[in-house]
Amino acid sequence: MAQASTSRDLRFLDPAVIARLGTMELKARTVVEGFLSGLHRSPFKGFSVEFAEYRQYLPGDDLSTLDWKVYARTDRHYVKKFEEETNLECHLLVDVSASMDYRGSAPMSKLEYGSVLAGSLAFLMNRQRDATGLIAFDDRIAFRMPASARPGHLHALLLALEQLRPGERSDVGRPLHQLAEALVKRSLVVLISDLLDDPEPAIKGLRHLKFRGSDVVVFQVLDPHELTFPFRGPSRFRDVESADEVTADPASVRTAYLRELAGLTLRYDRELRGAGIDYVQLDTSQPLDFALLSYLSARARRK
Amino acid sequence: MNFLFPAFLLGGLAIAVPIVLHFLRRDVAPPVPFTAVRLLRKSPVARSKRRRLRDLLLLAARVAALLLLAAAFARPYVAGAARGTTLRIVAIDRSYSMNAPGRFAHALDLAGRAIDEAAAGERVAVLAFDDHVDTIAAPGSATSARTTLAATAPGFAATRYSEVFTKAAEIAAGDEARLIIVSDLQRSGWDAEDRSVLPAGISLDVRDAGTAPSNLSVVSVARTPDRVIAAVRNSGSTRRTGQIRVEHDGRIAQTSTYTIAPDSTADVPILYRPPSSGTMTVSIDDPDGPPADNSRFVVLDAVPSNSVLLVTSGANPSGYYLARALAAIGGPEADQIDVGTSTAAALADDNLTKYSAVVLLSTRALDRRGRESIAGFVRAGGGLLIAGSPEVEAAVVAAVFNWGTSTTGTIEMPAAVALSPTDPRHPVFRPFGSLSANLGQVRFARAWRVTPDGWDVVARFTDGNPALLERREGSGRIVLFASDLDRQWNDFPLHPAFVPFVIETIRYVSAPHDRARDYIVGTAPAGAGSRPGVYRVGPDNRSIAVNVDPREGVTTGMARQEFAERVERVDTTNSSSGDARAVHLEARQSYWRYGLLLMLVALVAESFVGRA
Repeated sequence: MAQASTSRDLRFLDPAVIARLGTMELKARTVVEGFLSGLHRSPFKGFSVEFAEYRQYLPGDDLSTLDWKVYARTDRHYVKKFEEETNLECHLLVDVSASMDYRGSAPMSKLEYGSVLAGSLAFLMNRQRDATGLIAFDDRIAFRMPASARPGHLHALLLALEQLRPGERSDVGRPLHQLAEALVKRSLVVLISDLLDDPEPAIKGLRHLKFRGSDVVVFQVLDPHELTFPFRGPSRFRDVESADEVTADPASVRTAYLRELAGLTLRYDRELRGAGIDYVQLDTSQPLDFALLSYLSARARRK
Repeated sequence: MNFLFPAFLLGGLAIAVPIVLHFLRRDVAPPVPFTAVRLLRKSPVARSKRRRLRDLLLLAARVAALLLLAAAFARPYVAGAARGTTLRIVAIDRSYSMNAPGRFAHALDLAGRAIDEAAAGERVAVLAFDDHVDTIAAPGSATSARTTLAATAPGFAATRYSEVFTKAAEIAAGDEARLIIVSDLQRSGWDAEDRSVLPAGISLDVRDAGTAPSNLSVVSVARTPDRVIAAVRNSGSTRRTGQIRVEHDGRIAQTSTYTIAPDSTADVPILYRPPSSGTMTVSIDDPDGPPADNSRFVVLDAVPSNSVLLVTSGANPSGYYLARALAAIGGPEADQIDVGTSTAAALADDNLTKYSAVVLLSTRALDRRGRESIAGFVRAGGGLLIAGSPEVEAAVVAAVFNWGTSTTGTIEMPAAVALSPTDPRHPVFRPFGSLSANLGQVRFARAWRVTPDGWDVVARFTDGNPALLERREGSGRIVLFASDLDRQWNDFPLHPAFVPFVIETIRYVSAPHDRARDYIVGTAPAGAGSRPGVYRVGPDNRSIAVNVDPREGVTTGMARQEFAERVERVDTTNSSSGDARAVHLEARQSYWRYGLLLMLVALVAESFVGRA
């Protein structure tokens, strides 16, 4: 997908650009429109999108969307507009634990990146008339907005995302179980978290959701520093949640750390995919298109 | 454990540096907020522990290296290290007087007993001495000392005791020891003023191997046109009569009889006209004394003259004092110096090859050929003495040998300026001995100011300016005296020291031209054997006669008590002796080497741990 996007399109998805934009709505709109613009030039053209209406051709519209039959009948240029079904309920679960506030060398913290991602997904869903809800959690559910497709809901959701503040320690499993119990309708659940604490409760919670009939997409958002461990010189690494300290020489522990991280990633990938859950690891320095594409992929399966 | 220079231990305070750095380095590890500490903890915790251990090892290695360095500089030694076992030094006389019948066997027996008396664990060293001392068995077991002693044989050199005590003190190195001297206790082994010094920590035990009851020795041989005169020494207490033989090239040429009173020397004339070439041996029979001094060898070949050319200005008194001084040489023919005189202007016509040295007293009218002649002469091995006189132009001398300008004119000197040897052991000044102070009575009014680039300064004026300098030029030797030898700039020729100074200087510059025919054992040039006889040596294959030192033929002995009284004991309990002992101990133990070695090991370990 990334290969299909041009540099002009990626400019709108670059986290460094997104971070400088003002409101969450503007960020989400920019991401989605940039993404869709790139999508039109991709092999995924028309992917999961259904016809909605005709609109009079305007300069700049893609000529491939011109409906020549209508032109033959009416002698006017119309382009086809597509939209998704509107019977999907999507819940965006955003981890707001203290570790999500971490920002190494990336332009956005994991929480900011995750919020923009959630906002973009909400924006995209709103365009497709899907009902979208938001749950923010750390070791408990800190904020909850029920899913809705009403006009104005998107604005409220984006405003809520903008006002998210980092919380305490994370416990992904607990809010997942709570949500699984609360869901009465098969939904699409999107989890946005760094998933750096104990994987066992998180996997159980996600399986619980899946068991309840929901489609689940997991975005593990990680900072480049967490992915590459580029530190130099002996340091005291202090956990931002537990305040535990480990003194280590990065040069000597880098290999072991990366091995541990790879092991964790492999475990999530193996166990979640085994349970039919999409697992996507995201780098906060990378554009957001991959995340959106992952969502669309899950959305297609849902359909 | 003591230290020779304990102040260096303060350098050990430098260990504070790695300690401080160690703790500073600990603080250098800054806190870094991170999220995946849980992942980091799985292996880094163990690594952190290892790192702490590694840090401690590094600190220990660095501290150890610094402490060892400080300790090495402080030069540690163990004061009582060598006192557990005492040292026994057995010195056996191997001079040729010990070759008298039965003497050396008796000496070996005495020395063997001295070794056998060594207590268990006592180290034994064996010295063999004549006019020098050899350590034939380093401190070790009595068994090895015994083995080495059995292989010892008397030589042909004379006795000299003083070096034995020096060597014993060196071996004892400040420790207590017992020195046992086994000798015939010849009185001649002590020089007239000789008093030897022995540390009080070394006890002296003298064992008399017994002198020969009597000894006849041919002390010298002189020749006249019609006879040979042999001086024969009778060291015995009875009158001795016998036959003396003259052999020429191995064949008996003449015999005569002699009668020598007790303890006296007599000239024995032998009616024999000695030939002008070949070798002659004068021998007597003496069954009692050592055989080495029963014969004396003489080379009859003519001795090439030692000629010196004085290059003067031609006017008086140029060269006058020098020529008179050289004419004053007496003694053997080989010591005589023939003096030739020439002017600088006539030098080119003179054949310099017949001279062993040239004394340059004037360069007036010295033309190019003369300069080339001098330069070629010196580079071919000739000697050159240059007097820095008003008749000699420094620029001309420099031009002869293409030197830079090393002479920067003349200097006026205050009346108090005299001559002072820089090195009293230099061959020019060695014969002066304690009389070299007489040179201080000479007053110099003017001299050359010489920059000693390329020169070795042998003597200086008392104002610090170089007075006597030497250098090599090709195969030859050049000596520059910075003032004149004609009493124009000084009163040197009027002083008694002038004659020996001039003679020794001339001999020194002409040393490559050794013409002597008669040598003492041990002083003969390379190529000669170590026993008396006639040898051919040198590039000209000249014959030389090597004889024993006639002093050794005087076998008069001395009592052990008197011998022991000749040795001055030095109390090692005073501080300076204690320091000397400490220096000896430290030098012998050399623990500092081990300290530095361990320091290197510590640094290597530090390097390995640091890289781990």
